[in-house]
Amino acid sequence: MIRHLFTLIWNRKRANFLLVAEIFFAFVVLFVLGSLLVDNYRKYTAPLGFRYEHVWEVAMDPSGQPISRQDATLQRLIQHLKTMPGVRSVASTRSNTPFAFSDSSTDFKAGSHSTNSDIYSAGDDMQDVLSLELAEGRWFTRRDEVAAHPPLVISQEARQALFADGPAVGQIVRAMDDKEFQVVGVLASSYRGRGEFQELEPAIFQRSESLVDPNDSANFDQPRLLIRVQPTATAELEQRITKEVAAVTGGWKATVTTLPEQRTIRMKFALAPMGGMVLVCGFLIFNVALGLFGVLWYNISQRRAEIGLRRAIGATGRRISGQFLGEILVVTTFGLVLGLAIAAQFPLLGVMGIRLPVYLTSMVLATALIYVLTAICALYPSMLAAQIRPAVALREE
Amino acid sequence: MENILTPTATRPHTNGTVPGVATQPVIQLRDIEKIYQTNTIETVALNRVNLTINKGEFVSIMGPSGCGKSTLLSIMGLLDEPTAGVIELDGRPVQSYSDKELAGLRNHKIGFVFQSYHLINDLSVLDNVELPLLYRPGVGGKERRERAYAALDKVGLSTRTNHFPSQLSGGQRQRVAIARALAGRPEIILADEPTGNLDSVMGEEIMELLLNLNRQEGTTIVMVTHDEQQAHKTQRLIRFFDGSQVS
Repeated sequence: MIRHLFTLIWNRKRANFLLVAEIFFAFVVLFVLGSLLVDNYRKYTAPLGFRYEHVWEVAMDPSGQPISRQDATLQRLIQHLKTMPGVRSVASTRSNTPFAFSDSSTDFKAGSHSTNSDIYSAGDDMQDVLSLELAEGRWFTRRDEVAAHPPLVISQEARQALFADGPAVGQIVRAMDDKEFQVVGVLASSYRGRGEFQELEPAIFQRSESLVDPNDSANFDQPRLLIRVQPTATAELEQRITKEVAAVTGGWKATVTTLPEQRTIRMKFALAPMGGMVLVCGFLIFNVALGLFGVLWYNISQRRAEIGLRRAIGATGRRISGQFLGEILVVTTFGLVLGLAIAAQFPLLGVMGIRLPVYLTSMVLATALIYVLTAICALYPSMLAAQIRPAVALREE
Repeated sequence: MENILTPTATRPHTNGTVPGVATQPVIQLRDIEKIYQTNTIETVALNRVNLTINKGEFVSIMGPSGCGKSTLLSIMGLLDEPTAGVIELDGRPVQSYSDKELAGLRNHKIGFVFQSYHLINDLSVLDNVELPLLYRPGVGGKERRERAYAALDKVGLSTRTNHFPSQLSGGQRQRVAIARALAGRPEIILADEPTGNLDSVMGEEIMELLLNLNRQEGTTIVMVTHDEQQAHKTQRLIRFFDGSQVS
């Protein structure tokens, strides 16, 4: 019967051409969208590398104070905040805080290996603030101030890129400006400061030598603090921190936000275009489904005599509906074969820069979805075909 | 070389039992009624029809258009249900049969030949002839091919197996339809005006084919026709008028 269905569809290839084309385009759209969604899902489910709950960010505007005094003011502020009830730990950082729309990257080289990595400025308490886990070595300490080479803590991706399977801790890496650093620690996993939808990329933490960039006279890269607070902390603590910043620094303006809030904003920013695409594709697929439904219904009304004949020569109603369902699945197969041939070019040509397993998953999902969609569209017309009374259908021609 | 069933002289038509043919009923209709009901009109297509078709008979049914001939053939072929009455096939009433059982009976016992051939235009001659065997469990692809070739050989179309219906003449199409009916090796062939769309020469050719099938293979044939001359070539002629058998 399968051979019969293929013969029938092949012999009707002209009539089925548009249907095959419709299924082909629907598949390609679903495959592209699916690749994006699957890729984002893969990223979303990968570990962030840090804990953002109960972490607050304090952005400060030190305008008005000479830049030469800002560093000392900030050191004093950190010590002061650490003593506040409700505060667990405080670490300084720069503008590329977790979930911020700001990033900084540079090239690093270790022997024959090199990589471009996100670079994060971190204070000695950052490990505690972000609950960073180390697989090897240690986090920064005050002793690093006198180290021969400024220390670095690197993520697993950076470790892999710079040292492959060789040892990392104690190794010297060179930045783009030929400045040498020494690796003192390796994170247990990735670090994705730009949030859940960031690719698993190398990340390197550099100890904050000075809390304020001495060359940033315009305070473009404003100093920031990350504060881990007690889980019971409320808005009242937020107000006290703001007041404390103003009191200790002599009038710096402070804005306190929480990392969960920042994360929500980042998520919305990432999800909005995806949602838009899903909506547009959903509308397209809905139209394809309606089109398929209409074409199948029309086909069946055009083939009533054939249905009558098949019933006369021994087909049951169930066989008739099975045949029409089978036919649409064969047509779908033709469309999918073409679609899969195009989809296979994506990983070969590196069209979207997505990994092969994601493409393969999307191919399987899009294929399954198209089969389900066409089967659903064919179900009702096929049932109608099965109900056609053979004597009436044969008399109609 | 084409192997059309050998033509033989036609027998004179009789209205009763055919000499040499055992009277073993294959189809029996008892008090068959068929009423088509719409919201406002009730049309009686068949009115208490009693009819027995014996094994090996070639029966023709005649009557004016709309007298219920085709309806009768549909009911005999288990394509339609009567409003009232009993149909027996080989002595067994079939009213209580399921769709699957009825489809099985149609597939194994009955072959249909229609006025407008009802060939599937997108299938080759061979594929069209194979069609009934597709619905028969246990018949593999190779056997289907062999039986289809054999059936086409019988109707003299073994050289047209890869042609499509649109490439054939009306007579050839009807021969393909007959081959399709023969491929399933049915005991009964129900032919609804098989020569109705053909010119007299082609019609004669098809009629000869049916007569030879009946005589050489003992196939029971019930044929609806408007052609008095052809009807008289069959063993029994039944006339219908307004849904009732009149002779």
